[in-house]
Amino acid sequence: MVNSNGKKSMLKVILNPSRLLGTLAVISLSAGSALAQAPEIALGAVVPSSGPFAEWGRSNSVTLKMLEKQTNDAGGINGAKLKITILDDGAKPAQAASSLRKLAGDEKVLAVAGPLTSSAAEVTFPVANEMKVVATSQASSKPGVAKLNRPWAFRNTIDEGMLAKTTVPYFKKAFNIKSVGIIFDAKDATAATVGKAIMPAALKANEIAIVNESDPLSFNTGDLDVSAQVTKLKSLNPDGVVVSADYSQAITVLREMKRQGLIKPVVGATQLISSAILKAAPEIPIIAPATFFATMKGEAAEKFVTNLQPLLRKESGLPAEIEPSMYDANIYEIVSMYIDAIKKSGVTGKPADVEADRAKIRDHLAKLEGFQGLGGPIGFNDDGDAIKAFYVLQGQNGAWDTKVRGCSSAPNHAGC
Amino acid sequence: MSTYYASLFAEAGILLLGALSVYIILATGQLSLGNAAFMAIGAYLSSYLTVELGMPLTPALTVSAIAAGIIGVIVGFPALRLKGIYLAMATLGFGEMMRSFFINFPAMGGSGGFHGMAHISVGYIWAWAGGILVVLILVERSRVWLEMQAVHDDETAAGLVGLNTVAIKVGAFGIGAAVAAISGGLFAHHHVYIEPANFGFERSIDFVLATILGGSTLGLGSLIGAILLVFLPEFLRPIADWRLAAFGTLLILVLLVRRQGIVDRTLLRGLTFRKAAS
Repeated sequence: MVNSNGKKSMLKVILNPSRLLGTLAVISLSAGSALAQAPEIALGAVVPSSGPFAEWGRSNSVTLKMLEKQTNDAGGINGAKLKITILDDGAKPAQAASSLRKLAGDEKVLAVAGPLTSSAAEVTFPVANEMKVVATSQASSKPGVAKLNRPWAFRNTIDEGMLAKTTVPYFKKAFNIKSVGIIFDAKDATAATVGKAIMPAALKANEIAIVNESDPLSFNTGDLDVSAQVTKLKSLNPDGVVVSADYSQAITVLREMKRQGLIKPVVGATQLISSAILKAAPEIPIIAPATFFATMKGEAAEKFVTNLQPLLRKESGLPAEIEPSMYDANIYEIVSMYIDAIKKSGVTGKPADVEADRAKIRDHLAKLEGFQGLGGPIGFNDDGDAIKAFYVLQGQNGAWDTKVRGCSSAPNHAGC
Repeated sequence: MSTYYASLFAEAGILLLGALSVYIILATGQLSLGNAAFMAIGAYLSSYLTVELGMPLTPALTVSAIAAGIIGVIVGFPALRLKGIYLAMATLGFGEMMRSFFINFPAMGGSGGFHGMAHISVGYIWAWAGGILVVLILVERSRVWLEMQAVHDDETAAGLVGLNTVAIKVGAFGIGAAVAAISGGLFAHHHVYIEPANFGFERSIDFVLATILGGSTLGLGSLIGAILLVFLPEFLRPIADWRLAAFGTLLILVLLVRRQGIVDRTLLRGLTFRKAAS
């Protein structure tokens, strides 16, 4: 309660401009000093907010800002404020590596989420090992990328080879497939590896003939005309088509298939999962694996979509129908796992302890089992890849439906 | 110097060599949009020599430069029939051809890329980049460079005064290819991973842009261009989403104000208080 003298002195301050300014300055200085003294936990992220994967990078940024706000609104991490520094790598491997150096060396972050692509991960993960900081990719699924860069590299994704072992048998059974034609994006390292090695091996294991095995059909990222390749595919009359490309490139193939009347079921890798691809040719069934999709059931996943979707539509600068992607879910889980590690492994966040703190996060992740992700429990195998649930989805007439649930389990590790 | 700035200087050194490879060819009046292909040859060959055959890096780079130089000479001969935009299109085609070759070359990993190189320091990169730049600045003061300039200014007149224009143009292609190959070898051993997508059309454009932005009449211009192209986008990071737009705007403004590039002989004379030759 303020007494009458207090009221008078307050009035004097308000009526005297110089006193008012002085008081405001003192208040703001003390507030500033209180903020400056508040302990802070620094994490970093490398996302492609520009370049060919800008859609994923921009939605990743909105996801991370949402998580940062949620964490700080809930009291921070062990009383410390969370700060996530997000750097754009333009999906360029060299920029991703430089960004990680800036985050680890100059910003002194405790761990980094990203980079997104396998090409960037190939170049950035060795830097993570050199700088002794954990880096976890949200989208890289080219086989063996984290395995080559132990112990600091992790991926919250599942190897495409493992996913194809479940996807292809479902594709064969659901559509009675005996032969397929393969078309892939030769410029995209993951798409080319899936199109040239992973899918052919999985198809052969399931006794599915490849009609263009000796004559691979490919195109390059950015090509707008694939009519010649699709004409060739149509002439071979396969029962189904393998499209190995990022969804934005796959849309070009699907539109051309529809234009030429090649209405055959399509199978591919995680790169196909998006809501946009379903609108390109709704009558063509698409089979692809995913660890998360926007219409997924479950309390955690539904809450995540409910919270993120309005923010994405308001802040990302992307088309109004944008939905949270699998990579948004993955990066959300990555930073959530870092927060879990910081809370449980005695990380101090003090500048003097940065090396020890980074090692604690690494060790926590390496032993992690049963962390509650958006689609179920998550752990990591000895190669640094995620052990988590995945789903074989069928997309048709504008919606994804779950057809098979699988788990990327590994020997001597807890399953999903 | 922090490891972040060291990595940016390493990138600038690699880009400088790529820009010099374009500059050397441009000095004879030829524009190559395919120098990323020579860079790819250097990257893959030097990586093969160091990883598979255990050769030390310096001789591996030398062998790669010689091999790329020979290929450059071979490419240079058919290019003699072409000029201007037609030559640019032909070299662009060569670049795409080489990229496709490496995509379908499983011995070096194909589209999956190639690993196993040992990481090199920024000092090693700049020993090569600085050394080649110094040699080029010395060559710029030699008779050979005057002959190249003569071919650049008027090929017919140069031929009429007895210069071997074929040897000069093809030689420039060979030397340019060798310098690009060294850039590729250093790139491969700096990033310790290469894939065909690293050596696409965009890379060749970066080389040309660094040369034109910095100044296409002096080797020193490539140095300025390479440093600007690497550091400017990084310094513009605080403006987040607008940084690439701001970078593009700055490039346009620079080229509007100085069409000849940032550095030219007049500016250099002004900076060094030298008088123009009468």
